[in-house]
Amino acid sequence: MSRFDPSRRRVLGGLGALAGASLLRGQQDPFRDHSRVPGLDEMVTTLDFEEVFRAKAPREIYDYTSYAAEGEFTLRRNREGFSWVDLVPRGVVDVSFIQTATEILGTKMAYPIMASPTSGHGNLHKDGEYATHQATTEASATPYIVSNASSFPFEKIAAAATGPVWFQLYPRQSVDETREILEKAQAAGCKAVAITMDQQATYYERPGHYRNLVETPGGRTPRRPTFHNPYRVPEGRLWYSWKFLDEIRPFVKVPFFAKGILTAEDAELCIEHGLNGVYVSNHGGRSVDYGPSTLEVLPEIVTAVRGRVPVIIDSGFRSGSDILKALALGASAVCVGRTARWGLGAFGAPGVKRVFEILQAELVMAMAQTGRPTLASIDRTLVKTRFR
Amino acid sequence: MKTELPMKTNHKMTRRATLAGIGSLAAVASLPGQQNPGPKLIGEAPGRIAPMADLVNVLEFEDVAARKLAPAVYDMIAGGDRTFFERITLRPRMMVDTMGLDLTTDLFGEKLFAPIIVGPAGGQQAFHPEGELATVRGASAAKAVMVVSNQSSQPIDKIAAASKTTLWYQVYPDADVNALKARIQQAVKAGCKAVCITVGAPYRNSTGTPSAARLAAAKSPSMDWAVIDQLRQGVIVPVLLKGIMSAEEADAAVKRGVQGIIVSNHGGLRLKGVVTPIEMLPSIADAVAGRVPVLVDGGFRRGSDIYKALALGATAVLLARPVLWGLAAYGADGVQAVVERLQTDLGRTMGQCGNPNLKSISRTAVKIHAA
Repeated sequence: MSRFDPSRRRVLGGLGALAGASLLRGQQDPFRDHSRVPGLDEMVTTLDFEEVFRAKAPREIYDYTSYAAEGEFTLRRNREGFSWVDLVPRGVVDVSFIQTATEILGTKMAYPIMASPTSGHGNLHKDGEYATHQATTEASATPYIVSNASSFPFEKIAAAATGPVWFQLYPRQSVDETREILEKAQAAGCKAVAITMDQQATYYERPGHYRNLVETPGGRTPRRPTFHNPYRVPEGRLWYSWKFLDEIRPFVKVPFFAKGILTAEDAELCIEHGLNGVYVSNHGGRSVDYGPSTLEVLPEIVTAVRGRVPVIIDSGFRSGSDILKALALGASAVCVGRTARWGLGAFGAPGVKRVFEILQAELVMAMAQTGRPTLASIDRTLVKTRFR
Repeated sequence: MKTELPMKTNHKMTRRATLAGIGSLAAVASLPGQQNPGPKLIGEAPGRIAPMADLVNVLEFEDVAARKLAPAVYDMIAGGDRTFFERITLRPRMMVDTMGLDLTTDLFGEKLFAPIIVGPAGGQQAFHPEGELATVRGASAAKAVMVVSNQSSQPIDKIAAASKTTLWYQVYPDADVNALKARIQQAVKAGCKAVCITVGAPYRNSTGTPSAARLAAAKSPSMDWAVIDQLRQGVIVPVLLKGIMSAEEADAAVKRGVQGIIVSNHGGLRLKGVVTPIEMLPSIADAVAGRVPVLVDGGFRRGSDIYKALALGATAVLLARPVLWGLAAYGADGVQAVVERLQTDLGRTMGQCGNPNLKSISRTAVKIHAA
């Protein structure tokens, strides 16, 4: 007699056990179902890194990197912005030598490309920011803006490699505490300081960040910070003011610039308050949802700044032609945040290095294809815009 | 650009949920190409009612309401036109101290806690057994003004007795002007502090195939400025016209002595293809030029939506569908949560954009983009 008993009860019982088994949990997660994860040598564009990162990283970490605030209107618009700018190439131009080197805020760089500050690289790779710094250094000494919220101390990150590091500051309400942070960063050798002005509210609605938190070991749930107003808005950094900036301005001896600027008016105020640069950013869509894409506000900011200080930009840049469009609209340099995180999460330092090498090579190719062999030859005539 | 959809949170991987999920997957797979008309939440077990604390934003209340209600009832409060909100971007200003966030606004001599009003909707017992009584408890808890419809499923006296907040009253024009005036007087006597006369919604809502017989049965009362004057006569509280959608009519209304304008297309329920209120708000606000308050409804789901209306000249916004989602999903608690979440979202948006109070939100705080 057969040992297999195909009674209804047995079969249903078996199905029930299957439903509870870890196999199905795995199946619920399509990212884990890759039979083969591509290798570093198969990465052709920066976008290729995201899939590998998604396959390798814990979902919570992937979600944190990938998603943005509220309805992600601004996240989508950042990418959409590039479709409103078309490149107009020139053909009869000698492009046998492409010049990309520049100097911004006293830092020489081989390409007008930098690493945006993003937090907690230790979540992406065990070597965290050390790996990022080693990789950016190997990628033609790309300047790396280290986040104030890094996984490792800034001094140690700065010492991990020889390439230039800048420092990103989230100020503390206490002027003395802020002074201490700034003095330590400068003593450790940062070549410039970016003060992040957006993200005044520290609690954001980021559904994509929360949705898998509950299932992680330890049962983490979204933070619910405290508040002291009748509208239940956590105060976070609502105390930011230009007066505070004036108070901490003297503590920064290296070039000091503002990150998170989205209007011509604020760009003008940055210069009035003695800042040395304007960093146009919407925090990769992670701060104010329904804000503009950075590319669409770049022209108004460049016009307001009138070349008095460099204009740096990030949020949504994925390729050499994206970077070329921003340069044509008047940016001095472009930073990438998520893209570098994908590289780190996917392959560690070699991944970050390859991400920047790809962007650098794509920029050279884009300049050649459009007949703009030098950074100086890149101007508004290179683009046709149809911002709405 | 795609209109945003709510995202799902807190995927509970219990055995029951997993098994139900498999069931729903099987159902979806058996209907290739068909949109599952039920819950939009991917991987969510059909019929599961999430604890309210799991919901991340107001849009997610709609999915829970959809699970609670019969399809025909849910259809009455489904969706909403949000396309024009996607054509307005914010212009956030940095380094403005907003620690003393103040969302209060003065309206008809009263200080509103926030510029968010629970709008009128008739027959709310269709969505919750307690109907308007639950809504008014939720609105009271959230310190929001509530507009009671003259088609409410509970009598105005009972609603007023359950209320700890300011009530307004909304009426549809009626062929019997005297009976309507009596209802208005009764509402004012019950404590209603303003009266909204709905215009631009002639004929009763009727379902089924349009026909001459149906139209005759739902015949529209006559309407002109004289009727408005007649209704206003003897009303001691401010009278607003709800349903104004053009600068010309707004100007005419103000000249006629109307004390407030509510820009509204009745939730888009009366006619397809009608322009959205938020789109008409700037020109109406310009025409009114501060002579009377301009309010607006239609599609408000996020704090940033409300912020945009304030920047474009509104004194306050009215909510209808989101409140009814909250009511259907969680009763009075749901109403309170929906209103409070929007108050918080508006406050957060103001913090992010550098506005410590409502009067600092000017037209330059937003940019309207071409389609």
